[in-house]
Amino acid sequence: MMSNLRKITISNSEKKFLIKNLAEWTRLDGRAFDEFREVEIEFGKDWGCCYVSLGKTRVLAQVSSEIQQPKSSRPSEGILNINLELNPIAAPNFEAGRQSELAVQLNRLLEKCLKDSKAIDLESLCIKMNERVWAIRVDVNVLNHEGNILDCASIAALAALAHFRRPDVTSDGEEFIIHSYKQRDPIGMVIHHYPVCITYSVFSGGAYILADPTLLEEGVADAFLSIGVNAYKELCGLHLGGKADLSPDLIIKTGNKAATRAAIVVQQIKDAIEKDNQKRSNKDEQGFHKTILEDIEIPLEDLSICLDQWSSKGKKNKKKKNKTEKNKPQEKIVTSEDNEPRSEVESLGKGIAALIPKDEGIAQWEVSGSESENDDVVYVETPKPLVNLVFEDTDSEEDAVIVLNADQKTNKKKKMKK
Amino acid sequence: MLKVGDFTLPGDIIENIKSLRGVTVLGPGLRQNEEKPNTLCVTIAGTLSFKEPNTYWIEGNRKHYVPKKGDLVVGVVVKKAGDILRTDIGSAEFASLSMLAFEGATKKLKPDVQVGDVVYAKLLNAHREMEPELVCIDSYYKAGKLGILSNDGFLMNISLTLAQSLLDIENPLLRTLGKKFPYEIAIGVNGKVWVNSKTSKDVLNLIKTFEVAEKYISDKKKIADVCRQLS
Repeated sequence: MMSNLRKITISNSEKKFLIKNLAEWTRLDGRAFDEFREVEIEFGKDWGCCYVSLGKTRVLAQVSSEIQQPKSSRPSEGILNINLELNPIAAPNFEAGRQSELAVQLNRLLEKCLKDSKAIDLESLCIKMNERVWAIRVDVNVLNHEGNILDCASIAALAALAHFRRPDVTSDGEEFIIHSYKQRDPIGMVIHHYPVCITYSVFSGGAYILADPTLLEEGVADAFLSIGVNAYKELCGLHLGGKADLSPDLIIKTGNKAATRAAIVVQQIKDAIEKDNQKRSNKDEQGFHKTILEDIEIPLEDLSICLDQWSSKGKKNKKKKNKTEKNKPQEKIVTSEDNEPRSEVESLGKGIAALIPKDEGIAQWEVSGSESENDDVVYVETPKPLVNLVFEDTDSEEDAVIVLNADQKTNKKKKMKK
Repeated sequence: MLKVGDFTLPGDIIENIKSLRGVTVLGPGLRQNEEKPNTLCVTIAGTLSFKEPNTYWIEGNRKHYVPKKGDLVVGVVVKKAGDILRTDIGSAEFASLSMLAFEGATKKLKPDVQVGDVVYAKLLNAHREMEPELVCIDSYYKAGKLGILSNDGFLMNISLTLAQSLLDIENPLLRTLGKKFPYEIAIGVNGKVWVNSKTSKDVLNLIKTFEVAEKYISDKKKIADVCRQLS
C-alpha cells in the first residue's frame, strides 16, 4: 500500500519537453547523447571503503570479510556476496528494510557483472580446503538517486573490492591465527579483470539511445540496456529491461561504445587506487573529512557565464561553460570535430571535452523573441490557467464540450518595468 | 553564546531572546526550551535569523518540504479518485485537491485534469496529523492565478531556499532574465517550479540558470552584482 502511495509520477510537461528536446538532439543537462556524467572516486580511511559520485548520483561501498565454512559444492573457493541497499536517504520513495523490485534487479545485475564474470579470484580466498575460507561481502549503499544507480554502484563495488585488503591468516594445523594489520601487512584481492556496467536508455523503440540516463530520462525511457563489459572488450553481462525491440546491429554498436567507455572508467578506477596508495605510503591524512574539505575549495562556476548566454555582445563567450553541443549529432564530440568549422574542441580531461567557439565576435546566443522591441519587460508572474470544463454526465441535455475561453478573463498578470 | 546570523545545529540553545509584551514569535526550526524558561531550542541546521521586534527563525538549506497553511505550491497530479485528485507536492504525504475546488466547477461541470498534469494551488489545510488539502480558488471562488498549468512547459525541482529567494521581490534574477527573453514561471514554495517559454532553448537556459543560482544561494550579493552588470 505504502509503495503505491509513494511512486514517483513524472509530469506530462516533463515528458513532453524531454521528448521534444530529443527530437532536436538535445539533452536537458546539455550533454551529448553519448556523453557520460563525471565520475569521482574517493576512498575512506578503511580498506575497501569507496565513495563514487556519478553526477549527482552518489554511492558508498564498503567491503568486509569474515572466515566461514565453504559451500560443500565448492570446497576450495571463497565466498563473494554483493548486497545493494536502497534507503530513503537516496530518494523519498525508497523504503527502508524491505527489498524492492528495483533493488533485487540491481543486485542481480551487479552480481552478474562482478561475480558471474569471475572477476575476483575466489580460490585465493581459501584458507584450508573444506574447512575455512574467506567470505567477502560488499555493501553498496545508495546515498543519492539522480539516475543510473547501476553504473555508479558497479564502479563503487569494483573500486572497493580492488582497494580492499584482508588480514593475513596463518595456521598451525589446528588453530587459525588472524593477524592484525599492524602485525602483518594485509593482503589485497586478486582481480583477474575489471568489469563495469554501462547503462543506456532507449527512447522511441531505439530511435534515440542515451548514455548514462538521469532520473528523469530513466523515468521517461521505454527501456534500458545495461552492458557489463571489461577493459578488454569482453562482455560480462547484458540486460535489456523494458519494452523495445532493438536490432542486433544496434546492440552490437552500443556494446562497442560501452566497451570504449569501460576502458576509460577502469583506467580511472586504477588511477584512483594508485593515488590512494601513494597517499597511504606518504602517510598523508586519510578519510572523507579530508576530501570533503577539498571539494569546498573548488571554485564555483560563475553565474555570469550562464546569464551571459543570452547577451548579444558575446564578450565572455570564450569561457569553457559554453553549452554549444546542442545541435550536435549523436557522435561523440571529440570525433565530430570537423563538423563545426567555427569552433574547436578542448579536452577537459576525464573523457570530457568542451566545444569552444573560435570566433568571439559572432554572437552565440541572440535575444530571442521580437516582442522586446520597446525594451520593456514582460514579467509574467503566473501562467494562465486554462480550465477546460467537460460535462462528465452524459445524461444531461447538453453533452457538448464547453471550453471556457481563458482569453476573456485576462488571468495573466503583466507587470511592465523599465 | 549564539548570535543572530550564526550557524546553528539541532540542540543548540538560544538565550537572551527579545520579546514584545512578553511574546516571541517562533518560525520554522525553533521551539521553546522546556528545561529553561525564556530560551529557545534549535531543531534544524541553519542560520539563525531575526526580524524586529520579536520574530526568530532558522534559515537552512532544506530540500524536504513541510506543508504550511496558505502556501502557494506547484504539484503533480498523481491519481484520480472520484472527485479527489491526489497531488504530489513534495511533502511526506500526497495532498488532496478536490475537482470542485476549481473556478466555475460544479458537480456536472468538472475541469479536464489528467494524471501527470501540473497544478498551481494554495494549501487550504496543513496539519501534522492530517492530509494536506489544496484548492485552486480563493475565498471569493475565483481562480486568480491558480489552476492547471500547461503541458508545454517544464517542471523542475529547486531547493526550498532558492524558491524563497526567487520569490523575494528584490531578487533581480527573474527580472534580468525577463530582459533577455519572455517567459512564464510559477514558483511553488515547495521547491517545484514550472517554467515555459517560446522556444525550448530558452527553457533549457532557465533550467541552467537556476542550477547555477543554486550554488550561489548563500551569496545574494554576487547574484545581484552579476545581474546589474548584464542589465
